[in-house]
Amino acid sequence: MAGTRSPSPRSLSDGSFRPVMVGGCVAAFVMVLSPLVAIVWISFFENKIISFPPTGYTLDWYRAAAAMPQFRDGFVTSLKLGVVATLVSLIAGVPAALVLARGRFPGREAIQSLLLAPLIVPGIVAGAALYMFLIEVELASGVQVAMTFWGLALAHSLIALPWTVRLVTASLVGLDPQLKEAALTMGARPLTAFRLVTWPLIRPGVVAGALFAFIASFVDLEKSLFLVGPGVTTLPIVIVNYLEWSIDPTIAAVATVQIAVISAGLVLTDRYFKLARAF
Amino acid sequence: MSNILIRDLIKRHGALVTVDRVSLEIGQGEFIAFLGPSGCGKTTTLRMIAGLTPASAGSIHFGTREVTHLPPYLRDAGLVFQGYALFPHMSVAENVAFGLQMRKVDREEARRRVDEVLSLVKLAHLAGRLPKELSGGQQQRVALARAIVYKPEVLLLDEPLSALDAQLRTEVRTELKRLQSALGLTTIFVTHDQDEALSVADRIVVMSAGRVEQVGTPREIYQRPATRFVAEFIGRTNLFPGGLDGPGRFRSESGERFAFGNADAPSNASALAIRPEHVSLQRGAPAPGGACTLEATVEDVIYRGALTEVVVRTASGARLAAHLHNADSGRDDLRPGDPVVASWPADAPMLF
Amino acid sequence: MSALALTGEDSLTGGLPAPGATDRRRRRSSAGWLLFPSLTLVLAGLVLPLALMARTSVAHFDAASPDLVGFTLENYARFFGEPFYLMILARTLVVALSCTAICLVLGVPAAFVISRVESRALKTVLILATIIPLLMGNAVRAAGWMVLLADKGLINSALLSAGLIAEPVRILYTGSAVVIGLIAVLLPFMVISLESVFENIGTAYEEAAQTMGAPPWTAFFRVTLPLAMPGIFSGCLLCFVLAMNAYATPVLIGGPSFQMMAPKVFEQAIKVYNWPFAATIALVLMAVTLVLSVASSLALQKRYGVL
Repeated sequence: MAGTRSPSPRSLSDGSFRPVMVGGCVAAFVMVLSPLVAIVWISFFENKIISFPPTGYTLDWYRAAAAMPQFRDGFVTSLKLGVVATLVSLIAGVPAALVLARGRFPGREAIQSLLLAPLIVPGIVAGAALYMFLIEVELASGVQVAMTFWGLALAHSLIALPWTVRLVTASLVGLDPQLKEAALTMGARPLTAFRLVTWPLIRPGVVAGALFAFIASFVDLEKSLFLVGPGVTTLPIVIVNYLEWSIDPTIAAVATVQIAVISAGLVLTDRYFKLARAF
Repeated sequence: MSNILIRDLIKRHGALVTVDRVSLEIGQGEFIAFLGPSGCGKTTTLRMIAGLTPASAGSIHFGTREVTHLPPYLRDAGLVFQGYALFPHMSVAENVAFGLQMRKVDREEARRRVDEVLSLVKLAHLAGRLPKELSGGQQQRVALARAIVYKPEVLLLDEPLSALDAQLRTEVRTELKRLQSALGLTTIFVTHDQDEALSVADRIVVMSAGRVEQVGTPREIYQRPATRFVAEFIGRTNLFPGGLDGPGRFRSESGERFAFGNADAPSNASALAIRPEHVSLQRGAPAPGGACTLEATVEDVIYRGALTEVVVRTASGARLAAHLHNADSGRDDLRPGDPVVASWPADAPMLF
Repeated sequence: MSALALTGEDSLTGGLPAPGATDRRRRRSSAGWLLFPSLTLVLAGLVLPLALMARTSVAHFDAASPDLVGFTLENYARFFGEPFYLMILARTLVVALSCTAICLVLGVPAAFVISRVESRALKTVLILATIIPLLMGNAVRAAGWMVLLADKGLINSALLSAGLIAEPVRILYTGSAVVIGLIAVLLPFMVISLESVFENIGTAYEEAAQTMGAPPWTAFFRVTLPLAMPGIFSGCLLCFVLAMNAYATPVLIGGPSFQMMAPKVFEQAIKVYNWPFAATIALVLMAVTLVLSVASSLALQKRYGVL
């Protein structure tokens, strides 16, 4: 290559761009995925004391975990809380999303920030505040709320709400209002128009919102921490409490069950609603 | 000596071949247009020349230097993108200076050359602006300035006028042609707009389905299209599928007989084409002998300003369009349903 | 907005679109009803509790009674007066900043590679592999690090059985372990926010830079990265805020001796029952996070214009 006008000759580092970028990418995925891979793997180890390489593989730890009442109860409580929180967040969140998607009106930004705030205020701060608040309510009314299922349900509904608001609004914003108007001019009654035109279009957003809401509630740790009590403890808190005492394949089996539930839910959601759009 | 030499260039995407054995020699200072419908491989070819898309096979030389496997930053080409791709975070002057900085041109010299090229495109007064503060036409000129400031071996333009409105487009292409010949830049211009290609290029490369259909001057391309595709793609054409019916005679599928005088007609011709402007129309009886004429009925008369387009239909149902210049005759006397005789010069029909 | 407004409203009120003022009034009242449940939920579950927490932080602590008594700044005085708490705040800041920096260094290449992958299928897989861990919950991921890093964990027993070490290396219950654990938690947030940024920037600018003679690194640092700056900033902010407030990772992976702010809130509220002080720590944490976020966004705005 002669050309006096050609740019500066190829320096050694030019070829390093792709390898460095891909290397960074691989390192990032190793960081993110290795704890999950490790815990799933160990849940099948035969020996109770973790040793490498394992002497063999077994499913015994799943049986052992299922036999332990605290895990069973935690799982059931988390499931029930997730369902209640999802329902509440849909009842409260879908109408709110319909209003927010109308576009600009005075106070819209403020209302939107307020509804998304539970996502932004740190869990530990919000949890502590809610705990103190519920105790004050209890003192004033004489009804126990903190450390009951319904106290937790309130906290979890708040965790779930921003997700339904956000995803349903996102699915509505792209919606062409003329579709609905076209249906109205063609003689559809408004409720019929909603059922036949608006609903099918926002359904992916609602389904995704519900699934995200459920997952966010199911995995929550910080907010629930203050509000759990005897008899009402969520699975993540049972896991954390157990981990403070011992690390063994039983807890790995429990964690693997949670990983499986959440992954299945997310892969399912992705078919309705591209997950990347939720962020 | 040719400046750019492209030999058997191929681009494959799996089993799909998007550019198929394209070969081309481009002389120093020549203005070449790649013309073809979308998806014909013209932009892919341009990107391979720029080095943005790796070639699957074949070679590209800039002068004596083979660049086939060089990355874009070592090729020394200037590229104007379809959407311009001006760096939004840099001012006009910074955008233009970028290529000079990459070439380690010293600060003073770079400033002088940026000023020079900006006055060349008449934007010196906007040097400090950000791209988003400019109009579409101004952005286009910044993109051009940015690509020519470092005097690249070849200037590549990817549909550079498509984002401009019609009037501006004509203005800018004239300006572009003027600059190109003033600077003596070897230029490749990709477009799907035949008007653009015909009016600016020294030579046009017509492409279709990844292949080169014809390379020639605008006049050659229009007057002597090498293939049926070129005849149909460039300008308006009346096309009749059919076959030869003796020397100098062609018979269309629907039964019309055409006489023609071109000596170089292929013996296996399967179609005959006549440009509408070669067709003239007369009222009354056909000329004796029936050479180069066709009896027909007026179907439609469309006034189009400089010319009137008259569509006629033969007894067997074939349609023929004629472009009549309004300056000569003003054929507003023709009405749908009028019987007419269409005729053309003996050398007007083209055979494929 | 009018057209879209009608869509949302009459669908639920069942009213026919009426022109002019009546319509507008009706729309407003229907908006009120539609927003009522969600706003009530947020007010009762978040806004009022936070207000009460602010009040609690200026109350006098009396171990004998949970009633809020008096107005005093003694809790704040205690926090800022005791080196122990200032040290915890400083440690939390250092951990959060180093996590953010490392997340940036790993997240930029990861997001860039994902955004430039040509195969649709591979891109979907990579995005799912980013998002699934993000929503997996902190407990499970902390558990994963514990089985990896513990004295008798996977890494130590692998190193021992390979004969590379004679004694287990202490990794769990150290500051580095907390940083590692937090990076794993926060990195997906960084990757997912940067991925869409790089995706939106597209390849044209990089290609333009390259044809003008810029090698890949130069094109990346002079063109792509400056254009991604607003996204990079918000990604960093998110990581920083989440790291500042992390609870599960420091408690489980850091152990009792590696103390950070969020676990202290829990300890004071639930173990010591000193609500005023717990409220104070929580509010200091929020305030420091907020002030740093606003200050850095102002600084960046000055440098890069409106973000």
